Amino acid sequence: MPSSTPPGAAGDAAAAEVLRELVRRGLAEAEVLIKRGRSRRLALELGSETSTFSQERAWAVRASSRRASFFAAGAGELPAGEGTAPGSPGGGWPEATGRPFRLPDPEAIPPWTQPSDVEAPLIGESEGLRLLASLGSELAAELPGARLLLAALEDGSSESELASSRGLQVAFRRRLATLRVEAAGPGHPGAGAALYLAAREARRFHPKALARRLADRLSVAAEGTPPRQGSAASGKRGSGAHGGEILLAPDVAAALLATLLPLLVGPAAVARVSTLRDRRGRIGSERLTIIDNGRLPGGALECPVDGEGMPCRETVLVEEGVFRQPLLAWWQVDGAAPGAASGCCRRASWRDLPAPGPTHLYLRPDPKLSVAALLADVRSGHYLIDATGPARLDAEGERFELPVCGFAVEAGRATAPIAGARLCGTAAALFKGIAAAARDLSFLPLDGMLGSPTLLVTGLELRGTP
Amino acid sequence: MAWSELDTAAVARTLAQIAEQPDDVVDAYFERREEVELPPEEDAPGLRVWREEGFAVRLLRGQRTWMASRDGIAERPFAEALRQVARALPPVSYPEPRVSATLMPSGASGDPFGASGASGAAGAPGTVGAAKAAGTFGDSGVADARAAAGFPDLAHELRDFPQAVARAIRAHHVGIPVRMTLRRHRRWLQVVGSRLVPEPQSEGFYSCVLDSQWGRHGALLPRLDAVAAEQVAAAAVGLFRARNAAAPAAFRGVAVLAPAAVAVLLHEAVAHALEADTLARGGRPEAAIGLALAAPCLDVLDDPAAAPPEVRRTSDDEGLPVSRRWLLRRGAVEQPLADTAWSRLSPALLPGAGRRGSRHLPPGPRSTHLELLPGDAAESDLLAQANGGLHLPAASRGGLDALSGEFTLRFPHGRRIRRGALAEPVGACILRGQVADLLARATAVGRETVAAGAGWCAKGGQKLPVWATAPALRLEGVAVEADA
Repeated sequence: MPSSTPPGAAGDAAAAEVLRELVRRGLAEAEVLIKRGRSRRLALELGSETSTFSQERAWAVRASSRRASFFAAGAGELPAGEGTAPGSPGGGWPEATGRPFRLPDPEAIPPWTQPSDVEAPLIGESEGLRLLASLGSELAAELPGARLLLAALEDGSSESELASSRGLQVAFRRRLATLRVEAAGPGHPGAGAALYLAAREARRFHPKALARRLADRLSVAAEGTPPRQGSAASGKRGSGAHGGEILLAPDVAAALLATLLPLLVGPAAVARVSTLRDRRGRIGSERLTIIDNGRLPGGALECPVDGEGMPCRETVLVEEGVFRQPLLAWWQVDGAAPGAASGCCRRASWRDLPAPGPTHLYLRPDPKLSVAALLADVRSGHYLIDATGPARLDAEGERFELPVCGFAVEAGRATAPIAGARLCGTAAALFKGIAAAARDLSFLPLDGMLGSPTLLVTGLELRGTP
Repeated sequence: MAWSELDTAAVARTLAQIAEQPDDVVDAYFERREEVELPPEEDAPGLRVWREEGFAVRLLRGQRTWMASRDGIAERPFAEALRQVARALPPVSYPEPRVSATLMPSGASGDPFGASGASGAAGAPGTVGAAKAAGTFGDSGVADARAAAGFPDLAHELRDFPQAVARAIRAHHVGIPVRMTLRRHRRWLQVVGSRLVPEPQSEGFYSCVLDSQWGRHGALLPRLDAVAAEQVAAAAVGLFRARNAAAPAAFRGVAVLAPAAVAVLLHEAVAHALEADTLARGGRPEAAIGLALAAPCLDVLDDPAAAPPEVRRTSDDEGLPVSRRWLLRRGAVEQPLADTAWSRLSPALLPGAGRRGSRHLPPGPRSTHLELLPGDAAESDLLAQANGGLHLPAASRGGLDALSGEFTLRFPHGRRIRRGALAEPVGACILRGQVADLLARATAVGRETVAAGAGWCAKGGQKLPVWATAPALRLEGVAVEADA
């Protein structure tokens, strides 16, 4: 739970001393972050096994006068105190250069209950290695001959304290586990597939379900063929015209969302989105609602405050196809862009400066619709289950291409695996072509946690890789 | 010296206590690093400084590795880390060897950003002192004045470099606005094994990211001198001159790669392909030895001891001596890259190429400084037989799919070659192919080598600088396509 009194009294005193000294030197805007963390990393790679336990403690200070500013960060204890205090004879912080900046005033943080799993112990060495090993055995059971090339599990927790010369003082905790898996299918050389996932606790990764996902991808990669030009996805055979039905699994939809973030984040998004508006002022179908929420219950990055100590809140960016506002940090709200600020300045680590970006940004699911029901509605089209590479945007940020794999679908049934395909289209076509969303919202660690349910879309094209 | 107060003998004795089995490898890795960044003038905050130190203790037994790492260097955390790594609890607690050492080498006064930070007092290659000796930019008088005013000047050479680049750009008869982010990187290492205490190592270099409205260019530079300024300026001018150029239509033909592009090619197509962990994805790594991977005109080595003085190494990040490792001799694989763990799995592989991005990550087999031995072709010879082909001055990035062997190398721009000379610019393009097929298509190697930073490598999440010394190279019959 965030508190106005940081738990680390020593850190608190050191931070206060540093803030006093910086203000005395004319750096009226000063901020101190103190962070402690620990993580266990377990990896199985081609027969070798690695177990690492790391403890980190670090600090970061940024300060600004009316004319210039600096940022300094380091591992270990915050350097304050007799002999080493910044400002002691012969010593000091780096010279302030560059542009000045200002810091936020403290804001009241709405009530929040810390999830119980934030306090749970890190996964043990044996337990974690068993999880990874069972992932390998489940994969071999799902797809004989398939093998893990790499399985790496990292489970970590941290406590941070943030204080500023403006009176901001917050403490918060985080918990995050990530899992990276790379696998090869049967044969030589076998097809490859990878997963990268994040959850609050390592124990939330289920080997059997993950092995099934990997096996699906490996099978499709090995047996799939590129789609025929102007095939089912285009709706009109041989025409290459839009209008076909494509079912996008959450991983594919989230990858597209990551590509299109410039339309949703920061003041510049307003101008970008204006080109997508139709005559009724809509940028998408009524099924399109996009939300960012740093305190999303159950979210991997759930926290009451952002990296600057500002309260996180739910922000609706697009509501039933109507653009409401971009994601804005407190210092980006100046009337030029519509909407209110939300605590969205992320701090990837103590080494990084806070920067605005999504925390849990997602397309709203429809709790009434199952994936099976959506699939049953596809008369002739494709079900795309995974993105097999990074998306590419054209220079104008308009057209995208995403390498994908999946299945051709006829009358609600998968008929043939598809690989070596590219999903092509524009942001406008994607947003306006969302015909339905299922209830299976899931998140991927991309640029923040980006989430989507399975989407039924029209207006996109599936092409073979040239 | 950075580690003068580190009692390496006591550390080694303590490590020996957890090496219970004859083949156990136990080591401690002490690390200090400092980075100073000068962002573009209009960015806030201004000067950015990172300083950190810490250590990791590792036990390697059979195919299993246990590692514990900590921020900060102190006795008690060191003893705790030992306990976490040890497989059997000792009858008494482990001793706490003296591991506290002088603070950052540049911080003689003991403060976090001491005034002496500007002087490069460590004497390590690549420090500011070394840079000054090499005739780099910077005005020590200004630095001293800033220090006297109570603000240690940590970045005077960074401050002067953008002006040098601007002058170099004007010398190309163009005036273009660019934004430059410059960062100085310094690292000091001490590895202590239970039976071996190698010499401490240090590295110092610079990274530069240049942004213009026509694209971005990143470079690693051993020093900030006139040569470096011209290199960055030429990249900016190249982006500008290719601003309206159309990407080339897909073709199969001749491509002449300039040394900077060859550096990236070597790293992606040769070094990554011959890392033991990459090879193991397709089978036994040692099975690659003797394979003809490339054209006979390609002799490629990894030699960290021959890198530019500022980043030269005598031992790797596992404390093992580096060697002049022939990766390809006349196009055939001779000695893949291996670290201690992989050399134990495959005895035909020699260790000495273990690198780690940080104390918190285990080492892995990686290249440090690649060399392509020069051939006998003058640049005019390389271009003479490349009519209609492309001259590609620099690669922005590349990638190798370890399973399929598919390789891509991206170029922000290039020039068409007509009648043995460089003609009109072309836009962004991609060189694509199977790695062995692509390397087999090398037909001529230039005679003049150039030292260059190949760039940052981020394999496995470990960000490491990689260096190369290479001449130009002609490839024939390669597939090039537009990069949308």
